Formats: sequence, C-alpha cells, structure tokens
Amino acid sequence: MIDFRPFAYLIPILPILGFLLCLLFGKYSWRRGGMFANLTIFGSLIISLGILYNVYFQGMSFYEKSWNWFYPGIVFGIVVDPLSIVMVCMVSFVGLLIHIFAIGYMGEDPDKFLYFGETALFTGAMLGLVLSNNFIQLFLFWELVGLCSYLLIGFWWYKPEAAAAAKKAWMFCVVGDSLFLLGIVIVYNYMFSAPGITEPITFSQIFSSLETGVIPPPMLTLVSLLTLAGVCGKSAQFPLHGWIPDAMEGPTTVSALIHAATMVTAGIYLVARTFPIFMAAPNALWVVAIVGGFTALLTATMGLVVNDLKRVLAYSTISQLGYMLCMLGVGAAIGAYAVGYSIFHLISHAFFKALLFLGAGCILHGLWNIRSIKEMGGLRDKMRITSITMLIGALTLAGFPLTSGFYSKDKIIESAYEYGEIASKTGGLVHYLPWIFLIFGVFLTATYTFRMYFLAFTGKPKTYLAEHAHEPKPISSMIMPLIILAACSLIFGILTQTKFYDFLSTTFTTTTAYMSALNFEHLAKMGGNPYGLEHVETPLYIELLPTVFVFLGIGIAGYIYFNNRVDVGKYIKKGNPIYKIVWNKYHLDYVYRNLVAEKFIITLVILWDVFDLYVIDGVVNGISWLTVKSGTVIRRVQTGVVQNYATVILLGIVLLLTVIWYFGV
Amino acid sequence: MIPLEYYLLLSAILFSIGAYGVISKRNAIRMLMSIEIMLNSANINLVAFSSYNTPFSLTGQVFVTFTISVAAAEAAVGLAIFIGIYRAYKDIDLEKIATLKW
Repeated sequence: MIDFRPFAYLIPILPILGFLLCLLFGKYSWRRGGMFANLTIFGSLIISLGILYNVYFQGMSFYEKSWNWFYPGIVFGIVVDPLSIVMVCMVSFVGLLIHIFAIGYMGEDPDKFLYFGETALFTGAMLGLVLSNNFIQLFLFWELVGLCSYLLIGFWWYKPEAAAAAKKAWMFCVVGDSLFLLGIVIVYNYMFSAPGITEPITFSQIFSSLETGVIPPPMLTLVSLLTLAGVCGKSAQFPLHGWIPDAMEGPTTVSALIHAATMVTAGIYLVARTFPIFMAAPNALWVVAIVGGFTALLTATMGLVVNDLKRVLAYSTISQLGYMLCMLGVGAAIGAYAVGYSIFHLISHAFFKALLFLGAGCILHGLWNIRSIKEMGGLRDKMRITSITMLIGALTLAGFPLTSGFYSKDKIIESAYEYGEIASKTGGLVHYLPWIFLIFGVFLTATYTFRMYFLAFTGKPKTYLAEHAHEPKPISSMIMPLIILAACSLIFGILTQTKFYDFLSTTFTTTTAYMSALNFEHLAKMGGNPYGLEHVETPLYIELLPTVFVFLGIGIAGYIYFNNRVDVGKYIKKGNPIYKIVWNKYHLDYVYRNLVAEKFIITLVILWDVFDLYVIDGVVNGISWLTVKSGTVIRRVQTGVVQNYATVILLGIVLLLTVIWYFGV
Repeated sequence: MIPLEYYLLLSAILFSIGAYGVISKRNAIRMLMSIEIMLNSANINLVAFSSYNTPFSLTGQVFVTFTISVAAAEAAVGLAIFIGIYRAYKDIDLEKIATLKW
C-alpha cells in the first residue's frame, strides 16, 4: 500500500481547486458544476481513507510538516494524527454524500455552478481547518468556513429572510471569532517571548511548552475561555446559538453540510485539538462542561415547540453539540479518552444528522418547500424509503439501543456522571450539574425527535400538498445517500466503539517525531482538575437511566402525536406563559436585537460617528485648511521676476559665506 | 610689481558692480552686460593667481581665453533669447516678463 501521508496537503487543496473549476467552467460542464465538486471531494476522500489505512492498519507513525510562512515561527503546516485523520475521513465522506444528494436536490437552480463552487470551498476550508497544525492557519480556515456559511445560508439571497439569516450567522460568528483571535494573540505573544523557542509555533510546540509553564496558568484560563467564545460562535453554543435556526433559510443540503460535516463541528474539533491547553488551565473545563450541558438542555426545550421541520433538526444539532462540548468539559476527570468519546459522538452525529437533513430535503423537494410539520402528516405511505431512513435517523438521534447514537451518547452521560462523582468530593454537588443537564436532555431529545417524526409521517395528510407528495426515484442521487447514511448510523456504533476510543486517545499520548507524549495527569494537576485521582464504577441503574429516558420520551411522543391521537392545543393554550417563553426562544433574540444591537451598539455607533465626524474629520480637514490658507499667503513670495530670485540667491550666498567665515568650516 | 591684493580688490569691485547691475537693471541688455562684467572679474582673478602662483606656466591665461570664447557664445545665445522674448512680449523689460509667478 502506498504511503499516503505526504499527500495529506492535497486533501484541502483538491476541493478548493474544485471551487475554482466550478466558478470558471461549472456553467458549461455536466450537471453544471456538480461534476467538479464531487470528483475533487472524492479525491480527498480517497487520500483520507488511504491515510487512515496507513496509520491504523499499517501502524505508520503520525506525521507533521511545516512550511515557513512570513515570520520565523509562523508557518503553514499539516498534522496527521488520529484526531485529524478521523475528522477528514468523516468530513470528506459525509460531504461527498451530501454533494451527491445536491446534484438532484438543486435540480435546475440557475446558480447551480455557484452552489457547487461554494460548497466545495466550504468542504475544502473545513478539511484545511482540521489538518492545520497551528493556530494562525486554523484561524484562516476557520474564517473561510464562516465566509462560506455566510454565502451559502444566503444562497437564495433574493429571499429577505435568507439574506437576514446569513447576516445574523456572520455577526454571531464574528463576535466569537474576534474573541478567539484575541486568545491566539495572547498565545503567540507568550510563545514568542519565551526564551529558546525557535521552531515553528505549532500545536505540538504549545503543548510541549505547557509543562514548562511558558504561559502562566491564569493566562491559560483566559486563552481557553476566549477559545471557548470562538467555539460558541461557530458551534452555536449558548449564548451565541441564535443563528442556527435562522440559518435554515438556506438550501437543505447546505444545512446538512453545516450541521453534519463542515461548520459546527469545527468548534468541537477545536476544543478537542487544544484539549491539553484546556486541561492545564484552571477552571476552564468546568466552564466548558456547564456551557455544553446547559446548551444541550436549553435547546432541547426549544426543539419541543418549534413546528418547522428543519428548525427541529437545527435545535437538535445545537443540543447534540452541547453533548460533545460537555463531554470534553467533563474530560477534566476522564483525561485523553474524553477526546475519543466526544469525537465518536461527533462522527455518529454527522451520520445521522446528515441523514435527517437529507431526508428533510427529500420531503421539502416533494412538498414544494413546505417546512411546517403541522402541514405534513401521513407521509409514511407517500415516501417509503424516506420515512424508513428518517426513522433510523430519528432513532439514532434519540439514542435508541444498538444504534450508534446509543453508544456515543451513553458514554457521554456515563462520563458526566463519573465526573460528578469524582469532582463533587472536592468541589461540591454543583459538579453533578452537567450530568443532570444531559440526562434530561436525553428525555427531551427523544420526545421532540419523535414529535417531529410522528407529526410528519403518521396520521392523515393535513394539506393538499402532503396528500400528493411523491418521492424521488429509488435509484437516484437523492435516495442512495440516504440509504448509505442510514446504514452508517446503524452499524457505526457496534463495529467501531472501543477500537475508536483507543485509536483517538493515542493522539496526545504517543511520542512522535514532532512531539513527546503528554502527561495528562501532570497537566490535570496544573489545572487543578481531578483526572487521575481515583476511578469510579458507574452503578447499573445509572447506566440504564438514559435508555429508560429514551423509551419514556419516545413513548410520550408516541402517545400524544402518533396518528395525532391527542390534540395538544386543548391542554396547552397559546397564552401559556411557559409555552410563550420557549416559543420566543427565551427572548434571547429580543435581547440581542432590540437591546444589545439597537440600544447599545447603535448608541456606540452614533457616538463613534460623532467622534469620527468632528474629531477625526476635524483634524484631517484642519490640516488641509491650514495648508491651503498658508499657501495662499506664502505664494505671494513668488513674483516671477527673475531678478528677485537672483537677489535672493545672492543674499543666500552672502549669508552662507558669512556663516562659514564666522564659524569656520 | 603690483601686489596680488590690488588685483583681487579690482576683481571684487567689478564683481559687485556686475551683481548690482544684474539685480537692479530692468533692461535685459543691460543685465547681460552686467553679467559680462562679473565674468571678466572672474577672469582677472584667474590671470592674477596664475601669474603670481605659477609664473612660468600659462594655465590661467589659457583658461581665460576659453572663458572668453564661451562667454561670447553665451552672450550670443542670451541675445537670441532676448530677441525671442521681444517677439513674444514686444518688450524686454524684465519686470514685465513675470510669467514664472503663481
């Protein structure tokens, strides 16, 4: 087998090449650009799988390579280790399936070549982000991902909601990104000022310098929290989660791409990649766990009341990302395996979320873009394959036993409990909070997922369109990805669980050519985290609790919504205060738009404008006024009479000679 | 033998007269004549220094012959320019030829 590792840099470059090809020749090619995007991403997938085979089956060593960029220490580089390999395989695989689906879904859209160009760039940027071996390059791709999401959410720019949603996504991300950039600046500042660091400043360099205390622990916490702010923007965690539901205005394939493969997972990946920094930073992981857990629960409640099919899925994404983030947070007590558990859920989430979104794409395609589940119903008979694959997706999302979601989520909840047990001995009962958030999140997830499923697929069709819905042909670019993804969702968990954890946890704990193995117990001691202090056995009833909650959630959803047995409107009126709060998304949008944006920011902007108008402009205009005025006065000196000039020259020479004569040469 | 200082003094006086003429005379021809006076004061210097410092070589004197011929050419060019100016302005009053000004 060929050694694919030296070709790793081609993984992000190929789709970016595809982007250029789409832009230049997409209009005139087969399926108007779909060919280029699909082929280039397929190329990335081949290389990714090749590297996975090299490293996992042939046991080749990890690999890092840097190219100098513009300043000693700032480099372009790629890193190939289990974490990045697994991520690029997932991104290119799921990305490819979504691209194949889009060939059918985008149909005859006039800007199809542009769509494929942008999604190819999107995928390429994400692949580049994953393979980055340093903060600066990662940030570049991070922003490129944000840009592509902006372009794609607003792909149907002529719809005002889509344009507004794109802007909103961009604003939310920029808030987080600017804080993240500040964190990067702090890290580089310390790394440059440290004596004896001449090598390129890569993640491995930063990790190695953690133990020697180049960055003082309080600063590590600051850096971690600033990074977390970036993560909150990109991965849509509380309080920056508001853009995701609006982002549903884009094409459904874009939503699938954003939610499964290319965008929101970037944040989780970032925390996983910089996990040693979080580990060594006092109190940082605790904040991560609380933010993740709280988001998981909060958005699950929102998912309960939303009627937009895609928005239900959107909230479920935020919620599941909360699980992943919380898993990394409770890694304070788990160590390097936390990365494995979290990324495992990320991968299984990528499969079932792509599946659910593509299924939603099929429904929207059949129903002329009706998105409200209140206007669907009875699709089970009209769209057979979609309903079966969606059922698999929903079961996986809910964490039904034996699906991949069951394994991945179970591990997270168990870890959260373990964390609570260990940390609460020193830190108080408050450390059980993540576990409580997550366990209730499981119940709500099962409920809202099956509320959506039953409302859409069972009962009687509620509108004319739902009655006459039809499915794409069984063997078409829209149905095949669904079946492949459904298969992945089902078997991924059973086949790969332990091997996956072991493989991923070697990311940081293997000595390689470029980095010596990290001692997580030492790092945990630096950060005051309870890892390695003791081990806790989880009691059986705790392990069974999530499963019980899943069945309970599905049961309740089935009892109420299956064939529309119970009319909920009778019991919960529109005026119900709790319902109103949740329906209004806890008024967060109101706070951001009406208070923060319109009151606070606008005031600042006006003040700044006044300052700009009168102070800055005043200085600039003053200088030019002074120049003009003095010019009109002084120009009278120029008489134009040659003899005057001669006089002045003569006087000058006399003066010069006097000075020379007087002072000597 | 007349001391060197006398020559230098003569030369300085001639130069000053010439400079005064260049600055004060409004007629271009007169200004040109003043310039010739300044030039000749320099020539006197050259000859004087030459005969005092290196009495057996004629370097300074030869140099002066060159200067005189160049000055003649320069005067011819200057007069030609004045003729051109006169054609354009119908005047050679230097104060009225002031198009260089703002």
